[in-house]
Amino acid sequence: MKITGYRVEQYLMKMDRLVGDANLPSGVEMLPGSILYLETDEGLTGISFGYGGGAVEGLFGLIEGADPREVVALWIRMNDFLHKAGNEGAACAALSAIDMALWDLKAKIAGEPLWKTLGAKEGRVKAYASGLDYCLSDEELFAFYRRMAELGIDGGKLKVGLDLKADLRRLGIMRDALSIASPRPVLMIDSNEYWSPKQAVRYIRRMEQHFELRWVEEPARRWDYHGLRLVSQQVAAKVASGENLHTLADVYPLIANQAVDVINVWTGQSGVTGLRQIAHMAHAHGLQVSMMNAQANYMAQIAAALPNHNMMEVVDPGREHCLRWDNRIEDGYIVLGDAPGFGIEIDEQKLRELQAHPPTGRGKFPFPRREGAGRYIVPPAPGEVPWRRG
Amino acid sequence: MKITGVKVTRRMHETNALAGRLAESCCIVMLSTDAGLTGIGIADAGVRAPVRRLVADMLVGADPRSVTGIWQRMMDAQSASHPGKVLSRAIAVLDQALWDLKAKANHEPLWKSLGGAPPTANAYASSIGLSLGDEELSAWFLRMARDHGLRGGKLRVGTEESGDARRLERMRAALAEATPEPVLMIDADHGWSVKQAIDRVRAMEQQFDLTWIEGVSRDRDARGLKQLSDAICGAVCVGKGFATIGEFLPHLQRRSADVIQIDINTIGITGALQVADAAFGLELPVTLSAAPGNVHAHLAGVMPYFMSIEIVDPEPVTRLFTSGVRIVDGWAVAGDAPGNGLVLS
Repeated sequence: MKITGYRVEQYLMKMDRLVGDANLPSGVEMLPGSILYLETDEGLTGISFGYGGGAVEGLFGLIEGADPREVVALWIRMNDFLHKAGNEGAACAALSAIDMALWDLKAKIAGEPLWKTLGAKEGRVKAYASGLDYCLSDEELFAFYRRMAELGIDGGKLKVGLDLKADLRRLGIMRDALSIASPRPVLMIDSNEYWSPKQAVRYIRRMEQHFELRWVEEPARRWDYHGLRLVSQQVAAKVASGENLHTLADVYPLIANQAVDVINVWTGQSGVTGLRQIAHMAHAHGLQVSMMNAQANYMAQIAAALPNHNMMEVVDPGREHCLRWDNRIEDGYIVLGDAPGFGIEIDEQKLRELQAHPPTGRGKFPFPRREGAGRYIVPPAPGEVPWRRG
Repeated sequence: MKITGVKVTRRMHETNALAGRLAESCCIVMLSTDAGLTGIGIADAGVRAPVRRLVADMLVGADPRSVTGIWQRMMDAQSASHPGKVLSRAIAVLDQALWDLKAKANHEPLWKSLGGAPPTANAYASSIGLSLGDEELSAWFLRMARDHGLRGGKLRVGTEESGDARRLERMRAALAEATPEPVLMIDADHGWSVKQAIDRVRAMEQQFDLTWIEGVSRDRDARGLKQLSDAICGAVCVGKGFATIGEFLPHLQRRSADVIQIDINTIGITGALQVADAAFGLELPVTLSAAPGNVHAHLAGVMPYFMSIEIVDPEPVTRLFTSGVRIVDGWAVAGDAPGNGLVLS
């Protein structure tokens, strides 16, 4: 089988609700989507999702005519090709998207779901709920985590960082909502790099007087291994980071310097091949990884095969407008079906409708860093979030 | 597809296709499935009992395509007690037989199932495990250089100093048939302390450009091996015989290994892939120690920082099995037959 061509489709989605964190607590509801189709001479098409649209052209020559089953060797070829300029930015996004689509093809050629191609024993991944919820009212917050708890999910990750008193109240709301799934729900927080390391230590230690936290995510900047290690040493919770680093080479200093306890992984980290490298290096160091949220939870296919995966983030804000998928959440686990590859099909008609009539709505992902980050806290202004009345 | 059982041949003495301490006796492990496919692996004969037990306890009924998950389960089941060498080899050979089945189920060679390109793996000749006198040593490396184009050689050292130098020169001179600058490696077979090794290697390095030294001191002495690495020009190579990813950790933390050696006879293919990714994080070159039938050549194309594979026998001289791997012009080339290419005679 040979790769013969590719096609990129880009579109805009309006999610079912707003999503927001410390950097933009008011949230956004618009999300750009992109789909890469890799075509073959035997009619099979590999697909992937992400933001790699623009730069695929620069790498496609390296895989044109190649057998998609040789995906890891093709990854090495693309990575070597990017030697001088670096596997960074748009090039990294394109490499990631191509690698994902190649893995989708490899599994489809074998007629099996990707988790099986990757050697997993079962297509089943423990889930935790993540509300991306700074923009939700207290009532909406409870409703989200209660809905997740009704699916058996017993862990939650709250967006925090701007208002300690409100964060503590909302942690309690999240815990209460999840308590129907477990008498001791797993609680996590995420401040999305809004704090300095020392701000993080002060803030988290005050939270830990009231709650046991499993992990604190991005309590300092993504590359700051001194800062992240300092937080890890001074709080009881684990430190999680890595979602904004995109290669094994970028993650290595965090591992080597004992700066993180959990590494967030996803396909934007140089594809399935690249994120698996990160997971394997973490595994060698006795560290766990956690898969990021994904449209239709497609990344659970990969998480199922990682030896050191703890649980995967489930967000569920409504991003599946033109997707059909073969998985479900049951008893707190993402259960993958037998559909080949990622198990995702594209509803081409819906896609064309979205492209022909782009929806409109508030804001657009991704959003910038908030004022004061790393120096001083700017709490939500009255009316900026529903839980801070105007 | 489901595993239905295993057949293990009796102890066989004929083959000499096994590496180093794998000893002269081996057995062939054959995993059978309800699809009629058979997965093959070759191991030290000591694994016969644990292989049967592992298959009965954990493999029967499992889908071999889930090989990485099965490997993890076999490893986790041993984690309460550190698995002994025999048990490690049993898990490793089953992992190889499972990968053989996974590739056969896909009607493709193992290298392709792993995601690799057709491998042409940089290979070197290793006289480790062979008891060769001076003349035999020269003749053996000469054959490796002339018939197979091998440009590198590994020699066991550690006896008396002048003998080591004399034999190193014989190896170098023989390999010079293939290249003006042969790649020289030595294995001290754990016969030296760190300070002794520094002393001896420094003396050798006045005469020879050594690519790496392995088998110094204790494998777990990361501090000592770092001390050695800091004191000599050549690389310190660590990992032969390691059976768990955890054994590599102190060497990754202390950077006491300059080259990571992976032994698929003890850590399996699944473990080898994990270690190779971890090594890539530090950009440490990965070399694969010898394997029966040179099936380790299949892994070369899928390791991002692959360096070389060890060849003890370019062709299995035994009549027990054939291998699809050929050594041509210094490169190991894996074939296109489904699976790992091992075929029983």
